[in-house]
Amino acid sequence: MGWVDSIVQSLKDADVGLIAYVPDGVTWRVLRVMEDDPFFHMVPTTREEEAVGIISGAYAAGRRGAVFMQSSGFGNSINALATLNIPYRIPFPLFVGMRGGPGEFNLAQVPGARAIPGILDALGLQHFTLTREDELDRVLPGVIALTYAGRLPVANLLSTILTGGRDAPR
Amino acid sequence: MLRVDAIRAVLERAGGAPIVSNLGGTTFHLHNLEDRDANLYMWGAMGLTSSVGLGIALAAPDRKVVVMDGDGSLLMNLGSLGTIARQSPANLVHLVWDNHQWAGTGGQPTHTAEVTDLAAVARGAGIPKVAAVSTLEALEEAFDLAMREDGPWCIVADVEGSDFPDRPDVSIEENLQRFRRTFERPPT
Repeated sequence: MGWVDSIVQSLKDADVGLIAYVPDGVTWRVLRVMEDDPFFHMVPTTREEEAVGIISGAYAAGRRGAVFMQSSGFGNSINALATLNIPYRIPFPLFVGMRGGPGEFNLAQVPGARAIPGILDALGLQHFTLTREDELDRVLPGVIALTYAGRLPVANLLSTILTGGRDAPR
Repeated sequence: MLRVDAIRAVLERAGGAPIVSNLGGTTFHLHNLEDRDANLYMWGAMGLTSSVGLGIALAAPDRKVVVMDGDGSLLMNLGSLGTIARQSPANLVHLVWDNHQWAGTGGQPTHTAEVTDLAAVARGAGIPKVAAVSTLEALEEAFDLAMREDGPWCIVADVEGSDFPDRPDVSIEENLQRFRRTFERPPT
């Protein structure tokens, strides 16, 4: 299974059906598949912390959801993670389409992306950098199970080594 | 109209509907007036009360969901109005207690004290049912209608900023778990 289908299938298997996102070129390859699948309810948002708020509200009412964003927008979600998800113990799988790694051409994409693991560590949130397509079918179900067992967000960082980055053939 | 009287009037009319309250005075008032199981209190996440309410409304489409927002918070997340309009949940009743100030930080005037009209912003964002009210009677009438008729609704209520409620002692984690239990299906 390709990395896109692995993500889609792992979310379905865990009954994660509400998807809030700010689109980007990498995660859109996953999002466009979900847009065409009636299992998923898609919520495009204007800003990353809005997506976190929506998925957190859904969990408060008993429904599971996931958030998709680009690394450049991760900083916009920090206050929501710190003042909502961590103190209330509201979990969700976070998928970040990484820029700023191998193949990056835009200097402005680099500092924020490089800071993400350190910021997540400082918040005490677990994160996994996904690079190998052949591991995803084993890794993703485990990470999603961990997310809900730990009752905290867990970040899945989709590296350019996995996705080919922004300019990969679609 | 005092914000505390507005919140009391909504509580008397909301039945068992879930209510999510904005951080600061609104959360304090709601807790002090009636600490219901179906209350979810924000203590941070400024700006996200409307987004959390949208998530609840999408997850529980068979219940009316009441959001008690503030002008300072909504100004921080105006994009939320467009997202609500695009999703168009019929069950969402978004109340904005507009006291024209950042009351929790010393009463500094917000943009609504000078130039910004949040009801007009809501209309422009595409919210189909918008009301602006400045008396308790008008609020009660608009809220009763919003609880009966499909929305999404945005009701901007002009309130006085002169009430300073006591800060209650609440366990945030217990509040979330208690709120979640109100959505569990009864055992069959």
